Amino acid sequence: MASLDAATARGTTKGTRGGTTVESTRSGRGRGTPARRRRRYPEYLLFLAFIAPNFLFVLVFAYWPVIYNGYLSLTDWNMLAPTKDLVGLANYRDLFTDPDFLATLRQTVVFVVGVVVGSMVLGLATALLLNQRLVGRRFVRTMAFAPHVLSGAAIGTLWLFIFDPNYGLIRPLLAPLGLTSPPWMTSSRWALPGLIIVYLWKSTGFIAIVYLAGLQNLPRDLYESAALDGAGSWRLFRKITLPLLSPVTFFLFLTTIISAFQAFDVIALMTEGGPGTSTTTLSWFIYQRAFVASDAGHAAAAAMIMFVLLVAMTALQARFLERRVHYR
Amino acid sequence: MTVRTPTARPRRAGWPKSRLPMYLVLIVVGLVFVGPLYWLAASALKPTVDIYRYPPIWVPFHLRWANFSDAWHAAPVGRFFVNSVLVSTVATAVELVFATLCAYAFAFLRFPAKRVLFLVLLGAMMVPGNVTLLPNYLTISDLGWVNTYQGLIVPGLGSVFGTFLLRQHMLTLPDAILDAARMDGASHLRTLVKIVLPVSRPMVVTVGIVTLVTKWNDFIWPLIVTNSNNMRTVPVGLLLLKSQEGYNNWGAILAGAVLAVVPVLVVFFFAQRHLVAGLTQGATKG
Amino acid sequence: MDTSTVVSRRSLLGGAGAAALALTTFGCSGKSDSGYGQAKGNVPDKYAKRTRVVLWSAYSGTPGTTLSALAQKFNDSQDEVYVEVQFQGTYDQASQKTAAAVQAKQIPDLVTFSEVTWHRFYLNDLLEPLDGYFTGDFAKSVYQQQLLSEGVLKGKTWWLPFARSTPLFYYNKTLFAKAGLPDRGPADWDEWYGWSKQLKGLQASGKQVKMECYQKVDGDWQFQGSVWQWGGSYSDGLTVTINKPEAVAAAEWQRKLIFDDKMAYMADSPTTDFSNQLVATMVTSTGSLSTAVAAAKKGGWEVGTAFVPAKARQVVPTGGGGLSIMRYATSKRKKAAFAFIKFLADPANAAYWCVKTGYMPAVGEAVNDPQLATLLKANPNYNVAVQQLAKVRKEDEVRLMVPNSNVMIYTGLQKIWSDNAPVQGVFDDVASQLTKATGQVKAQIEKHV
Repeated sequence: MASLDAATARGTTKGTRGGTTVESTRSGRGRGTPARRRRRYPEYLLFLAFIAPNFLFVLVFAYWPVIYNGYLSLTDWNMLAPTKDLVGLANYRDLFTDPDFLATLRQTVVFVVGVVVGSMVLGLATALLLNQRLVGRRFVRTMAFAPHVLSGAAIGTLWLFIFDPNYGLIRPLLAPLGLTSPPWMTSSRWALPGLIIVYLWKSTGFIAIVYLAGLQNLPRDLYESAALDGAGSWRLFRKITLPLLSPVTFFLFLTTIISAFQAFDVIALMTEGGPGTSTTTLSWFIYQRAFVASDAGHAAAAAMIMFVLLVAMTALQARFLERRVHYR
Repeated sequence: MTVRTPTARPRRAGWPKSRLPMYLVLIVVGLVFVGPLYWLAASALKPTVDIYRYPPIWVPFHLRWANFSDAWHAAPVGRFFVNSVLVSTVATAVELVFATLCAYAFAFLRFPAKRVLFLVLLGAMMVPGNVTLLPNYLTISDLGWVNTYQGLIVPGLGSVFGTFLLRQHMLTLPDAILDAARMDGASHLRTLVKIVLPVSRPMVVTVGIVTLVTKWNDFIWPLIVTNSNNMRTVPVGLLLLKSQEGYNNWGAILAGAVLAVVPVLVVFFFAQRHLVAGLTQGATKG
Repeated sequence: MDTSTVVSRRSLLGGAGAAALALTTFGCSGKSDSGYGQAKGNVPDKYAKRTRVVLWSAYSGTPGTTLSALAQKFNDSQDEVYVEVQFQGTYDQASQKTAAAVQAKQIPDLVTFSEVTWHRFYLNDLLEPLDGYFTGDFAKSVYQQQLLSEGVLKGKTWWLPFARSTPLFYYNKTLFAKAGLPDRGPADWDEWYGWSKQLKGLQASGKQVKMECYQKVDGDWQFQGSVWQWGGSYSDGLTVTINKPEAVAAAEWQRKLIFDDKMAYMADSPTTDFSNQLVATMVTSTGSLSTAVAAAKKGGWEVGTAFVPAKARQVVPTGGGGLSIMRYATSKRKKAAFAFIKFLADPANAAYWCVKTGYMPAVGEAVNDPQLATLLKANPNYNVAVQQLAKVRKEDEVRLMVPNSNVMIYTGLQKIWSDNAPVQGVFDDVASQLTKATGQVKAQIEKHV
């Protein structure tokens, strides 16, 4: 799931770019003699035939749900009753006055910020390490990337066991340091940090690999001339590497935000939003409302809020990208 | 940490400073990522008493393969496996066909509102999975497809990212190849199959593997749309293994997790290049 | 779903392409007159010609295999009905699945609901009244009176007892002996508290042995008993009383044990920790008895059971699962489903179920069946559960009737157990959530009760 999420956002990034740049070079092709223009109608039909299957499924299973969800968010429906009562914006009003929902938003922000900042910093550090000529770095690179492709359900199961305060892996690792393992998933203070750790484990390797690709594309001559000027490695990193990596950073920043927002499998397996409501994020809240509490209206309203947040973030991304294209 | 970018060339290999600290860091990083997976494999093979022992047994000598048959008995994992394989391969195959046709159309065919349509397609990426969950369940119910293979496969058939990658790739193909085909009077379908596909093979494989892994790992949709063991997939089976009358039989649960992870790891090790290419695509070119 | 939505959705699907519309029309076929089809599954060829009954079960592990064995025995005992058992997860998950199935109009025929979840379907008129199915040779009176009565509302029977249980007090005899404690259950919670002091210093896998632990999910069932033992209640009729002093005192007792005395904690699975001797006592379902006994045998120690200790009162709630038939199944399937219910209530089969799982005998005659009688005689632990039946009470109405109220209560308990949250504040919040939720279904409940 996470791989798709990451992929999703990435596509959007490039789409905006690819759409403008590559399209313009090709559009010249279409303009031809009147005779050629007449021949286009069969081509138009062929175009429609070629895109029809894909568009059909995208429209029915991605766009239609948004519309229907918008309608459901205006109703009160327990999913068993034969009727849905229209209640206007009451569900949204309820949500924004419900302390649990507000706590959910706060926890979502903590989780997303924790995952994004943590995995970006660790990912960049790992990339810098793997960019050194060290024996065994290929192996480490492979192993770091592996968790990213594994199923969230399996990872959740594994880490639930690792975090077990009695039988888990953390306890014997902390023991030599004279520390006792916190109760992790049965503690409202430790459960959310624990989930963040799991997501860091899952996504840091992916970020490291993208950064690594970025690092290997950097122009070497710049470093050589700067090194001649006597700049130290930290200065080189700050003045040259970081700024040059900023497009990659920006891209990773947004993709990670979007995938962290949608984190679900691991939460479902490990905490189910608890203890209490301490690990209820927006994505778990929506599922819990709909499929546990059978409260379709509030679930749909929360889903619309999440959708709007994601659209806003993607729009922001597009804006920033445009600006970047300008000064480059 | 010393920062040398980009990759130091051979002549710098003899950098005077000791590389020992960096190797230590590399080992720690390696352990962080390998450790949990090792722990998973080791624990899945331990007898029940050893799983709960403290201090733990780091290297299990008494292997208990029966954990796997326990998992097997607690739930028909074999059937889950068959379902997962079937659903993810069929869905990937169909999705690839749709994506290729669609990408070809966007890359080579003329249409008045092409750009707008492409943006519409890309826009679907913004729709989060949780928004589609309930409405898609209702649609699939209306079709009478709950607890069927169609129900598992069909909602995921629309391809956005795959189409996008394939289109971008097709746009980089030299015009000369296509013009030659057109001179020969080849139809578009023929051009696609005989010329475009063969030269796009690496990208098709990349998209295929990324799709396959994503579908194999899919959890929430199969959880909602299946009701009986003859339709459930491996990740859903894991959740069911977990709910055993308030008692956690970790041996069987972890054995189940191993079964979910191993096929993906195998694909990963063999097709690492493609997966990395697919998943990092777009980030670095630009 | 109302018709207008169906129409609008259909037309939109149609707009998306003729193919989708065709699929929709195709999908509508295969449903019965009521508009409800049967949940899909898999029937072996051998049974293909029989009336198929789909049973959605909440049992895995030992109870799961036992139920499958009984279904197999039933299928082989006659040639008209085939019962297909489909496991759906916990009681709550099975209930969620059933709700989704009603939505999809592809329903099971028979469902194992918990004492809480069946009400939700009853209130939405989705259950079949079962009284008319009883015949001369199979009367309602075969069931234990108290347990049967809990499935009766408005004079009709909707839910028949099957995997019923009560909380039971378990203790580790071996650890008790090591700590110099008597080999019996404590008379009341105060004596129990005194005993907890004597465990100090006792170690298991490198840790202090704790006196007890609380179940993270669904722990509100055991706590229903605690509330009563302290003289309080979750609700009085439909009036929420969880934030009254008695209930608060019960939770405060547990909070203090965890955070001040450090002799208790919240656990993912108390049965697992008890089985590994990390806790010396636990209060949990009689249905965990077989698991605990097996674990003790493996680990070389002994399990004891006793009545749950008293405080102001000695009382425990009933709980566990029962069987309901879905109203919109075809009448042929409903009759077939009831034949399986009858089969399960046969004293020999009911006794087999109890012996294997440790659930309470819901069928009175089962106790006289040789296998169960022998077990009760040979293993006093099983007898305790049966004797404790004299102390049971039906749970408070709000927990039973108001959808999702059990989740609200255990979510609140988790905050106290894991976060040291002030009890009064948490229960005030829970009370206001419960009151609000009750308000939403009050009219419906009053109409149906």
